[in-house]
Amino acid sequence: MAAAIEISGLAKSFAHDPGPPVLGAVDLGIEENEFVVLLGRSGCGKTTLLNLVAGLETPSAGRILVGGTPVTGPGGGKGMVFQQGALFPWLTARRNIAFAARNRGVASAEADRLADELLALVGLAGAGHKYPFELSGGMQQRVAIARALALDPKILLMDEPFGALDEITRNEMQDELLRVWAQRRKTVVFVTHSIWEGLILADRILVMAPRPGRFVLERRIDLPRPRRRSDPALIALYDEIWACLRGDA
Amino acid sequence: MRARAAEILVPLAVLAAFLGTWEYAAAAGWLRPIRFPPPSRLAGSFVDLAFHGFPEGITIWVHAAITVQRILAGHALALALAIPLGLLIGSHALLDRMTAPVVAFCRSVATLSLLPLALVWFGTGEGAKIFLIGYGCFWVMLSATIAAVKLVDPVLIRAARTMDTGGWAIFLRVVLPATLPRLLSGARIALGVGFMVIVGAEMIGTIRGLGSLIMEARTFYRTDITMVGMLCIGAFGLAAMAALEWLEARLVPWQARAEAQTR
Repeated sequence: MAAAIEISGLAKSFAHDPGPPVLGAVDLGIEENEFVVLLGRSGCGKTTLLNLVAGLETPSAGRILVGGTPVTGPGGGKGMVFQQGALFPWLTARRNIAFAARNRGVASAEADRLADELLALVGLAGAGHKYPFELSGGMQQRVAIARALALDPKILLMDEPFGALDEITRNEMQDELLRVWAQRRKTVVFVTHSIWEGLILADRILVMAPRPGRFVLERRIDLPRPRRRSDPALIALYDEIWACLRGDA
Repeated sequence: MRARAAEILVPLAVLAAFLGTWEYAAAAGWLRPIRFPPPSRLAGSFVDLAFHGFPEGITIWVHAAITVQRILAGHALALALAIPLGLLIGSHALLDRMTAPVVAFCRSVATLSLLPLALVWFGTGEGAKIFLIGYGCFWVMLSATIAAVKLVDPVLIRAARTMDTGGWAIFLRVVLPATLPRLLSGARIALGVGFMVIVGAEMIGTIRGLGSLIMEARTFYRTDITMVGMLCIGAFGLAAMAALEWLEARLVPWQARAEAQTR
């Protein structure tokens, strides 16, 4: 398979921040349509890594190729979902999604049609006229996912998208995301600090440690989806990752 | 429905009780009418002002129209200058740091202390009055605009950038709509400042306007007219605020409804 994302020697440190770099020199290759989860405690550099791939930050060293092309900035088919949703509060759900589509040159009427189609895909058919504040946290994240998909992105970057949700909604959203992902295959890089979230979602989990931010554990999960939390293989993995995060390994 | 009725009836009852006590106190001789003309006297004065005017021929409608014109002109001028300048300063951190002391200083200068200067610069005509109102409104609006830009949630800008939006498009399609609620409330506060400045601004060089009506009445010991003038300014101020709040609810429905929901 072709590599969707190729990271080599990537490092990031901030000028105002002395001490070890936020992200050490890391290498990572992600295959097309692979679902990769970056897992770690706060400050381990996972969000920085995601921002670098998105082009929202510039690397201190190393390089990133997305689809074989070096990343020089945001946009260009790198969809992103933020923890807080980051929907535009002055636009309805439909217009939020159409905003993304229109920016890649889709005509107005077609963008509205696409928005409705994506709303239906994320289970929000008929809610297009609602403003973000009229939607629950989970519904807002569904719109945010639909908005990222409206870019027709090659890769989907998700920065703790369900981190602000209660556990019940969070579990539902994980199922929803897998259902959407099954219909619209994308390369996904998903940042979380929930071990179970990673186990339920990922093809591959990368556990990160801080200062310098680096990968300390890599596990491939070949179990079919939907996965059950009672699966002994997952529980064994949970223990192994937890030990690693705690620093026993 | 019952709660809504109480919301209106209770303040009305308080107002009626207040006016009733006042009227009774004047009739019983506890209050000297020259100092505290009773409500019935004020009503009579208002009718007199409405038909005959003070000074003779200049009715309260003329005074009010001129005053409102001056406030709106000063307010509009201030907004036209403060909004573009505030957007510029707010978008550039360095510019903001350079101008912050100046803005804080000029905002703190009591507008009416500039009256003597305004008279020297603009003469006793309309210019000085509009300048003073404009000055008061300008600094309030400028700091509101700068704050509005600085308070735009950075994640909205990052999100827009991931959607191939950059430069001017970010400014027009993200920053501007994001600042709109705070710009509107800034405009409302600035208008309130205009109503506070107007009486002083109309003290000199005119016999028309509610401010000059109040001052003229003072020289004739017509406390009743002074009070009617005050009440008129208060009523117009209240109406202007209500109008702007209505406009806010129309222009930024997402904000108004979000606030109503958290209330």
